[in-house]
Amino acid sequence: MIVLGSNSEVAQAFVEKLLKSGEKHSKIFLFTSNRETTEKFAKHLEVKYVQQSEIIDLDLLISIDYSSLEHINSNLLFCATGFLGMGTEEGLYDNRNTQNIIDVNYAKLVPVLNYFADKMERKRTGTMIVLSSVAGDRGRQSNFIYGSAKAGLTAYLSGLRNYLFDKKVHVLTIKPGFMATKMTEGFPLNPKLTATPKQAADGIYQAYKNKRNTAYVLPIWGFIMLIIRNIPEFIFKKLKL
Amino acid sequence: MKPNFKREVSNWGNFPVVEKEIRSEDSLAKIQEFVRTNHEIIARGNGRCYGDASLAENIFSTKRLNKFISFDRLNGIIECESGVLLSDVLEVIIPQGYFLFVTPGTKFITVGGAIASDVHGKNHHMEGCFSEYVLEFSLLNENSEVLICSPTQNSEKFWATIGGMGLSGIILSAKFKLKNIETSYIRQESIKAENLDEIFQLFDESETWTYNVAWIDCLQKGENLGRSILMRGEHAFKHQLPKNLQNNPLNMEKKISPTVPFYFPGFVLNNLAVKLFNFFYFKKQTKKVVKNIVHYETFFYPLDIVNHWNRIYGKKGFIQYQMVLPKSNGKEGMKKILETIAESGNGSFLAVLKLFGKHNEAAYNSFPFEGYTLALDFKINSKLKKLVESLDQIVEQYGGRIYLTKDSMSKPSLVNYLKNVNNSKFVSLQSKRIHNG
Repeated sequence: MIVLGSNSEVAQAFVEKLLKSGEKHSKIFLFTSNRETTEKFAKHLEVKYVQQSEIIDLDLLISIDYSSLEHINSNLLFCATGFLGMGTEEGLYDNRNTQNIIDVNYAKLVPVLNYFADKMERKRTGTMIVLSSVAGDRGRQSNFIYGSAKAGLTAYLSGLRNYLFDKKVHVLTIKPGFMATKMTEGFPLNPKLTATPKQAADGIYQAYKNKRNTAYVLPIWGFIMLIIRNIPEFIFKKLKL
Repeated sequence: MKPNFKREVSNWGNFPVVEKEIRSEDSLAKIQEFVRTNHEIIARGNGRCYGDASLAENIFSTKRLNKFISFDRLNGIIECESGVLLSDVLEVIIPQGYFLFVTPGTKFITVGGAIASDVHGKNHHMEGCFSEYVLEFSLLNENSEVLICSPTQNSEKFWATIGGMGLSGIILSAKFKLKNIETSYIRQESIKAENLDEIFQLFDESETWTYNVAWIDCLQKGENLGRSILMRGEHAFKHQLPKNLQNNPLNMEKKISPTVPFYFPGFVLNNLAVKLFNFFYFKKQTKKVVKNIVHYETFFYPLDIVNHWNRIYGKKGFIQYQMVLPKSNGKEGMKKILETIAESGNGSFLAVLKLFGKHNEAAYNSFPFEGYTLALDFKINSKLKKLVESLDQIVEQYGGRIYLTKDSMSKPSLVNYLKNVNNSKFVSLQSKRIHNG
């Protein structure tokens, strides 16, 4: 198994869910920009599940040496890489912030995903599970730079799914709504709309097992986004969302 | 959106409820920064203490410190971060033939909490407290330094932290010993006792059993005062299991647990309900002695089967009152306590009696000492304060004390027994309450 963004609590919960349900992986490749924290997770997997793993440094803001990834092969990839950055109010005209959001969520991520898609295509098997965002469903004034990068990612995944379909590789797009993670700690999120990492992992696991194409972590988000997507633009532009 | 870490928070008794800041981090640098920049901090695990012990102006939640670090499968030594739950530990160790040396009545507490409360179990008379098996832990002190503490290294801090209720710092990780088991089952004997004298005699007779505990019907008066059922147990060996269990002796039961979905209205758990429950619980066992093989979950964690059982006490919550009285005069004191409760009509849904063994002199902040301990649940109501006052008076008269992990309203003189923990950085609402009056 390949995990991109191994420090994400959702990614970690998903890996645990998978191992708990008895799926065996000879090795888990943990890609991370924070080796220290990921080492803790690797030890945890070793103690709790007698699971071997390998840590691979990946910082999407620095150039990637693909030659070091040659030995990595797996028929399951989970990608939770993401960067929220500053929202519109603080960060819109901060070009560095904008660049980082675009790079981590789309521009520099897509080549990495392509690299592994290519490997799966050649082996004609595999599943890629990638976390996009409800923010990509429609640009809203509060965080549309992030939203637009995620929209790009969602469109990429849709195309990739289409392209890989007859090559026996499945692509699953996950759109988490609010999640109670380090990223959102302290924000006043409505508990009914907020998933814990464990809930998210359970939902993603179900979607994976059912070979879904796209899935919201909590089903209610499907409904919310249906409404948001369908508000006419002349009304939408006046809303403070 | 600006982060706002303030939240309504209460522990297992749902009393008191306060609005305080809760933070949770998994990176050491961030935890250190939090400790450097805040005052009046307390660490909080899974919030399973009953009162205000893990509440403070600034709460550091250890829920993200939830990773295992190492497991020496040969020698039965495990190391994990402080926010790992005992239930997680059991999941890892039981299939390998190990069990916790000491466990309290719930497995949903963290390892850090087990050390800070120095929890005891049904085997205190034989095997002591949790701390007896702790080899070392790492502690973040008031200066944001990480100290490795063991009986030989930083031993002063080690013993101050054992049972120290988090007032000496934040426990980050711990390494402790495990006990060997052949099966995940317990050979159990339940014996009915008609009154207090009989149950005390049964405890004396059961001294050689590893696990002893009695459920007690505390609404009985007169001749029936102290009517109870003693449960004693031993880890079963494989050959003692029925044939159908021998194939999978280290079985982890996977039961679907019901959840109490909401706070019950206040009137549900009234005295009549308590009386009826106790009546049927006692009558359910028709024979004097019942011998059987039970799964460890049933034996150790009967209440864990129902998620959020605390909600049956209603929104106002409840307290748990646990005291220990010295062995020399404890029987007499216990009688007085039970009489006072029966007279007050304030029934306890669940009352548990135990005999503590000798305490470890080194662990000076631990709650248990040799004698009798009784734990009682009381729903919060207008008469409760008065009852607690009279119970406190008896406990004081007999030289006993109150378990800090469960306390929320007892007399300061019964709960201020901690030593060497005072610093202005780590302060809980409980420690403030005790010291201010």
